[in-house]
Amino acid sequence: MFYLSKIEHELPLPPSRLVLPIREAIHMELEKLFLDKVIANLGLCISVYDIRSIDGGFIFPGDGAPTYTVVFNLIMFRPFEKEIITARLLSSDADGLRLTIGFYDDIYIPASRLPDPNHFVETEPKKRVSSGQESTANPSSKKGMWYWDYDEQEYPITDVIKFRVTNVSYPQIPVEQPKESKPFAPMLVSGAIDDDGLGPISWWFGDEDEDE
Amino acid sequence: LECNAGALTNFEVLDFLRAKGASKDPTRVIAKVAQSEYKVYDYLVDTAASVQTRESINEFLTSVKQHDLAKAEVLNILNIGPAAEVELYPIIEDCDERFGDEGVLEIVELVKKTLPLPLNMKQEEITKVDEETATLKNEKGNQISQDQSEGGEQMNTS
Repeated sequence: MFYLSKIEHELPLPPSRLVLPIREAIHMELEKLFLDKVIANLGLCISVYDIRSIDGGFIFPGDGAPTYTVVFNLIMFRPFEKEIITARLLSSDADGLRLTIGFYDDIYIPASRLPDPNHFVETEPKKRVSSGQESTANPSSKKGMWYWDYDEQEYPITDVIKFRVTNVSYPQIPVEQPKESKPFAPMLVSGAIDDDGLGPISWWFGDEDEDE
Repeated sequence: LECNAGALTNFEVLDFLRAKGASKDPTRVIAKVAQSEYKVYDYLVDTAASVQTRESINEFLTSVKQHDLAKAEVLNILNIGPAAEVELYPIIEDCDERFGDEGVLEIVELVKKTLPLPLNMKQEEITKVDEETATLKNEKGNQISQDQSEGGEQMNTS
């Protein structure tokens, strides 16, 4: 789930930071620059782990700040394929589930990777009132709840869910985005819950008490 | 320079954030910890990592060498802390073919022995014990009331 990534970066240090010890100033600047940002093919930056080396400090012509060459390690959130992660259900619609782990929300379980057989129960679309006009939700993504049909019973797919990572992708930043489209996600995690031990954790631990 | 300079377990990240000053402190102003780092801390503190120690992890890593597990599988086991066989099946590829029922049971027992139980599991066990105690007390109470109604002396339960 978490990795260290070694990075070299040319860092201009603003004059306001020069009152601090150089290492502390650079650390703060790196945090401002990388923290909570997605770097393509590396993942989401969680924290600056350590600074390996600081070189340079030259003020280039026309520049109002010294530039340092810094080598440092970042803690990155980058799930690997087939990793098992516990997440919480954020929303579910006809396309599948969207999960969150608190610090990262772009986790999707497509409907094709839900336990089979299953069915989707649509909830009443809530009308949202904005600036005196009524607008209904997008019909293509109807909100509702998924159920796993097993042994003539239906089990709701809800609450805390254990899933397997199937793919991590880094889509290209779009030049233009349609108004109705959902916000751009620089990193997408796709998962599956179509295996034993996966899905809501209540499924697998609710039965043990009954057996006893 | 290096995309993967080493994988970190959830415990190592949690330990790093704790060393930085992250805690359950409600104000969250004193420590030099960013809001995004606190979100990671809040997630990790509810996982198996919150009760693990360096010693328990090292003990597990030493003991698990006898089983032919991939590095990713070991990392997954450390992060999840499976306390039941059903939790182990999605983690280990071709679980039955590679280990069989006995092998799987061995790994689960090893996890239970070396790694502390996650807090939520502990809580469930505590609740179960409390329920059993309450049941016993009720039964004893019933016996006492029966003895008294029959004119017998009250039992000394101390």
